[in-house]
Amino acid sequence: MIFFLLLAVLVFVAQLVEIFLPPLDWMFNAHIYIVPVIVCYGAVALPFPLMLALAFVAGFLWDAMTVQVLDPAHVEISFGWSILLYAVLAAIMHGLKPLFNRGRWEVHCILSGVYTALILLTQYLMISFRRGSIIFNREIWWQIGGPGLLAMLMAPLIFWSLHWLSRLTGSPYLPEEERFDEFSTR
Amino acid sequence: MNRSSIVAIVIFAAALLALLSIGPQATRKIQATFFQVISPFLKTGSGLERQITSVRAGLKSLEELEKENAALKVENRSLKATNEALRDVEHEVNRLRHALNYRQRSLFRLVPAEIVSRDSSTWWRTVTINRGAQDGLEPEMPVLTDEGLVGRTTTVSDSIAVVLLISDENCRVAASVEGTREQGIVTGERVAGSLTPMLDLNYLSKQAELKPGQKVYTSGVGGVFPSGLFVGTVRSFQVRALDSQAKLAPAVDLSKLEDVFVVIGRK
Repeated sequence: MIFFLLLAVLVFVAQLVEIFLPPLDWMFNAHIYIVPVIVCYGAVALPFPLMLALAFVAGFLWDAMTVQVLDPAHVEISFGWSILLYAVLAAIMHGLKPLFNRGRWEVHCILSGVYTALILLTQYLMISFRRGSIIFNREIWWQIGGPGLLAMLMAPLIFWSLHWLSRLTGSPYLPEEERFDEFSTR
Repeated sequence: MNRSSIVAIVIFAAALLALLSIGPQATRKIQATFFQVISPFLKTGSGLERQITSVRAGLKSLEELEKENAALKVENRSLKATNEALRDVEHEVNRLRHALNYRQRSLFRLVPAEIVSRDSSTWWRTVTINRGAQDGLEPEMPVLTDEGLVGRTTTVSDSIAVVLLISDENCRVAASVEGTREQGIVTGERVAGSLTPMLDLNYLSKQAELKPGQKVYTSGVGGVFPSGLFVGTVRSFQVRALDSQAKLAPAVDLSKLEDVFVVIGRK
């Protein structure tokens, strides 16, 4: 539970940090997203109920920050869609937990990037549907794919840091052979 | 699937359905509460960001001088904005006198505000300012600088407010072109490949012959934005099948915004 709370706090902090990270001009204004990577780690490191709770926290914070109430009768994407999106993607990631427990992280790192891009693509399709026209050009592909690529690059470091934290806090959800701090077992 | 997972799914689904079913007003309230909660973090983060920026720029001065300088800057911008408004009043008075008509126009009541954060989301262009309901702000209020129009407020909490920038596709501004009878709607682009996006002026007549350099002002139609605010300058113009469209360079460099004014009414 302590590790779940720690992840929830980290999601909150990452959400705030993202606000102050400027978009990358050289990548067609692509943004940097950290939260999806943390949720992806939580999806493989936490049991199913806590994974859902983490997806809820992440989706709630995302919607609270970004949902646009354009006038008293018009919300562009309803509050809650990001929660559903996070939960579905995290549930799929949770299915790959056995692979993660065997120490194979590369698939999860790649999927973190794919998920980040998928979240943005889904949001883009939803707003395109609401605005009545769909446009796909180079800028849009970069703004969807760019954050995915960046998340993929960041994922190994974030996964490693979070895994280290989970050992430090004695997370009971780690595989049996990893449950004790490596430093204390040496 | 064990029992705890099933219980978790049921609770999750119930909470999700409850959130999905809330209306725009409740959404705005949740957002306002959330922004109120995170406002200390945003203000602290913004302060740090400004400090880092000023250090990077090599600006080293005493605290008192900095304060005085900041106050003078705000006063200067306020005066410039008032001057701009007066210029627009003069322009409008002359036009109305010309038409043998008269309408009293009052000055704006402005609340100065600082940008505390820029939206990290990809698809919406908003900024957060350090003024809220306790300063007299409400949703749907115009936001401007001494250079021109910036956008309008959307979600307003007690001490913080979200501003939808004119570069966002959802921010629609009724506008008229200087020296012509042409009127249209200014909107932002859905996705901009750079930090300084262009604006679209749509629904112009096919007979419009706009030239680069012509200025575009708010027309006052729609009620949110008062007339005479500088929106942008025409960069290019094209005639389409049913209407014509102009591309505008925004009057304000939205990527370098630091201080803005919110129009909370008229004097």
